[in-house]
Amino acid sequence: MKSIPKLIRRFFGILLMSVLLIFILNIGMLFIFASGQTVSRSPWTTAIEVAEALQKSGDGYQLSDASVLEELERDQVWGILIDDTTHQVIWHTDNLPEEIPMEYSLGDIAMLTRGYVKDYPTFPGRAEEGLVVLGYPKDRYWKEMWPSWDYDMIKYLPRTILVALTANVVLIFLIYLVTNARLLHFIGPIIEGIQKLPEEQKVYIKEKGLLSELAMNINRTSEIIQSQKQELKKKERARANWIAGVSHDIRTPLSMVMGYAGQLAEDGRLTEEEQKKAVVIVKQSEKMRNLIRDLNLASKLEYNMQPLKTQKENIVALVRKVMVDFMNLNIEDKYDLEWETEDSLTSCMITVDGELLKRAVTNLIQNSMNHNPEGCGIFVSVKMEPEACCIMVEDDGAGVEEEQIRYLNHAPHYMVCDDNTSEQKHGLGLLIVKQIADAHQGKVEIDKGDRGGFRVQIILPYEAE
Amino acid sequence: MEADYLKKKRILLVDDEPELLDMVVSILKQEGFQTIRTAQSVKEAIAAADDFSPELAILDVMLPDGTGFSLMKELKRRADYPILFLTARGEDEDKFMGFGLGADDYVVKPFLPKELIFRIMAILRRSYKEDNLLIKLPDSEIDFERAEVIKDGEHIALTAKEYDLLSALYRNAGRIVTIDALCEAAWGENPYGYENSLMAHIRRIREKIEANPSRPKALITVKGLGYKLLVEE
Repeated sequence: MKSIPKLIRRFFGILLMSVLLIFILNIGMLFIFASGQTVSRSPWTTAIEVAEALQKSGDGYQLSDASVLEELERDQVWGILIDDTTHQVIWHTDNLPEEIPMEYSLGDIAMLTRGYVKDYPTFPGRAEEGLVVLGYPKDRYWKEMWPSWDYDMIKYLPRTILVALTANVVLIFLIYLVTNARLLHFIGPIIEGIQKLPEEQKVYIKEKGLLSELAMNINRTSEIIQSQKQELKKKERARANWIAGVSHDIRTPLSMVMGYAGQLAEDGRLTEEEQKKAVVIVKQSEKMRNLIRDLNLASKLEYNMQPLKTQKENIVALVRKVMVDFMNLNIEDKYDLEWETEDSLTSCMITVDGELLKRAVTNLIQNSMNHNPEGCGIFVSVKMEPEACCIMVEDDGAGVEEEQIRYLNHAPHYMVCDDNTSEQKHGLGLLIVKQIADAHQGKVEIDKGDRGGFRVQIILPYEAE
Repeated sequence: MEADYLKKKRILLVDDEPELLDMVVSILKQEGFQTIRTAQSVKEAIAAADDFSPELAILDVMLPDGTGFSLMKELKRRADYPILFLTARGEDEDKFMGFGLGADDYVVKPFLPKELIFRIMAILRRSYKEDNLLIKLPDSEIDFERAEVIKDGEHIALTAKEYDLLSALYRNAGRIVTIDALCEAAWGENPYGYENSLMAHIRRIREKIEANPSRPKALITVKGLGYKLLVEE
């Protein structure tokens, strides 16, 4: 809406320009029209010419110039000559209408000079011994009978014109303002609505006034967007619920498998061979358990159904707890977990969802174990960078190719990828780590560690936006 | 054997799956627990509780005629004993709700037998202390009731902090307890900046319980992470 003052300025400029142009155009047209009129001569001059051309011949008078008479006849003009002393008509043209009097008083002469004789517009011209009066057809001229101007008015004319002009400009501006204010009044909400549309907010504009149709369309668009959003959310929720349901239903049967297999694995009455088989069943069911847990959490994180329960946590203590849990429960001699955090770093407080972050670190350690079934060293550390806290899990195991690192860093996971990729699928473990880092406005960096193995860093900003 | 008296505790096991009940019973029996009663519904569980007066209840959250949480309230109203939840519902909400109502721990299905046994033992150890129980360490014995250590026939008193630390380590005997958990046990919530004090206390405890404090056999350091108390069975 910043553009509105600019809009007003531009429109007002255009308006003033057009007014000026119209004014100039009008003046020009008037000038052309008026100059066209002066082509036929003024009746006043004609009267003077007739007076000059009239010559005494014997008793009467005669027009010395025949062309003048011709002109009079062509224009159907009659003419008379009034004697100065007798006030009698002493000469007249042949076409003199009968109604024209043949004698004039001084008052009559004054009146015919200013105006008409029997409705014929008349024009006088001074002759030697009298007054020539030409009478034009009644529909030929209109005469201004009272032509007199106040000197004051003439004196103030420039000022008057200026005031009038200013008044006009102000009036034009007011008209513009009123009409535009009305337009803006209707456009404003529509612009606002359109700006909100891409943000997928619900938009409702009052459907009245000049642009009601436009408002209606925007409202409908918003409704469509909203309903599509709802629909999508519903679908996502259904999918997440479905995954949650399936994973729930698998838990109880899997408990049975794990429980009995676990018992058999420790049953001294079995042969070593049989116990080994039981251990394999335990291992595989543990994998299944992790998979179910990951699948459920990944789908919830993906569809934003996992609300973050954040509070200030000491990241050092949190990571330490994850490591110790591994060492207490899962650790086998093959894996050597090492704590590499500086001794001086005892606390690094960040507002996070502790349970989720523990899951992320757990997944990273588990990931290293999964990829190195022959065993490896796993090195965990927490570092404080200027802007962020960095949790690093590194192993000295098989490691990965550059190609695969690029793939892990950039390619979308098959769970959130919509093309039917037949490439080798990787587990959900890393996806969840990425999702959890995202949820905390952090990031995950995967590379080949200094020990030649696999290294993952979770980088969490101290101040999440 | 310290565990023997714990394994005599009466355990009430409630789950709607008879096969799962059978399995847990067999796990418990293999571990040496002798008095176990099972129930498949809230109604049965309450009847069993009245008749059997359990000393530990293991409950499923989803039961055919109610939730494990409401059952826990009902049981706690009759008598106060520890409660462990065993459920397929892994959502945090349940976890918080369970602890909020006074549950002692929570095991999510599927679980390994040793996980379950460890949790049960930890709860029982915390809840029931045998009179005059002496905890046997490689070089000494701890008498928690008198808050003293007996080494070579000599009785050495434990300070309050040493007692807190040792009991936290004993509750998790054989497992690593993090530095942070130990500080919390001794100094309460948000225990930051006590790492050096902790080291000093650990050193003093070693002087009391170990024959050679610089080569500890009972209280083991896990570098950077925490400590572990090894108890002789």
